[in-house]
Amino acid sequence: MKKVSLIGLSVMFLGLMITPLALAEKAEDNYKLYCFQCHGSKGNGGGINAAALSTAPRDHTSATEMKKLTDDNIFTAIKEGGAAVSKSTFMPPFKSILTDDEIKEMVKHLHKLCNC
Amino acid sequence: MKSLKILISLIVFALFLSAGVVNSVSADEKEGKALVESKKCGSCHKMQGPPDKTIADVLKRKAPDLFYAGSKFKKEWLEGFLQKPTMLRPAGTVYLNNIKMGEKKDEIGDVKPCASALSQKEAHEVTEYLMTLKEPTMKAGVIVDDKFSKAKAKVLFGQKEGCSGCHRDKADSGGTSCPTLYNAGERLNPDWIFDFLKNPQKYDPKIWMPRRELSDEDFILLAKLIASMK
Repeated sequence: MKKVSLIGLSVMFLGLMITPLALAEKAEDNYKLYCFQCHGSKGNGGGINAAALSTAPRDHTSATEMKKLTDDNIFTAIKEGGAAVSKSTFMPPFKSILTDDEIKEMVKHLHKLCNC
Repeated sequence: MKSLKILISLIVFALFLSAGVVNSVSADEKEGKALVESKKCGSCHKMQGPPDKTIADVLKRKAPDLFYAGSKFKKEWLEGFLQKPTMLRPAGTVYLNNIKMGEKKDEIGDVKPCASALSQKEAHEVTEYLMTLKEPTMKAGVIVDDKFSKAKAKVLFGQKEGCSGCHRDKADSGGTSCPTLYNAGERLNPDWIFDFLKNPQKYDPKIWMPRRELSDEDFILLAKLIASMK
């Protein structure tokens, strides 16, 4: 009996260890809340903040524009901000909000938007 | 002996007076709390932590969190605002809920300020109560009102960190997804500006303003610049 409860406790402990601290959000939802403000609800750069930016936000629906970037480029721009990839400082670093896994999912989501 | 009696009388009188003041303050706070409850402020504002932890919960938010209002706002401003609420966030509390999705660009839909204007007496009482709602980890006295390099602070604000991309830094220019800053100095406690800048996610884990990695010196410069915007 004692052995069984010990095993049970160990399983529970391991379960707690592998549970992430915060639940990951879907890339679509992260894109809406964090990217729409500049890149727009269509992803074409037409967000409500776009007029205030000295550099136009990238059009995520343009395959021509998006093909200029590698996945590493996109990942770094989201995580560390535009300045880290010699782009606009208006693109802030999102690492305090998005986990690496969420950013990887976001890169995949961007490929869907440009269909490329 | 006579002077001792006078001194004791004075001390007793002073204690009586101070007890009266304390009682009147707590009476206003009490009235303010009762008003917040009777007017159902909590049906739109979160009056108690913790903050929202998921995007789904953020999207249900109707008005800004108030459970740290006493750390965030300047008392005089708050009392005036409660009597005549204005729009502080051009696109509303959660911009995402208020954008109209156009073909080429998005526009801000119909957003209105809080409809619950209070009388002067009510506003005073509610302010007394709201000012008791503090963020316990915020340090007071960090931002002192002294000279600072406005030129250096403006480079941080405009070029390095791009604050005006999301915040209006003038009445007619700047971004609209976040609160206006051109009047932030009237509204916000400078120590709170510093604390929020250092870690916005401490106050609101899902807020669409990411944390920047700056030195305390730079955060102080930014806080002083924002506190000077009036």
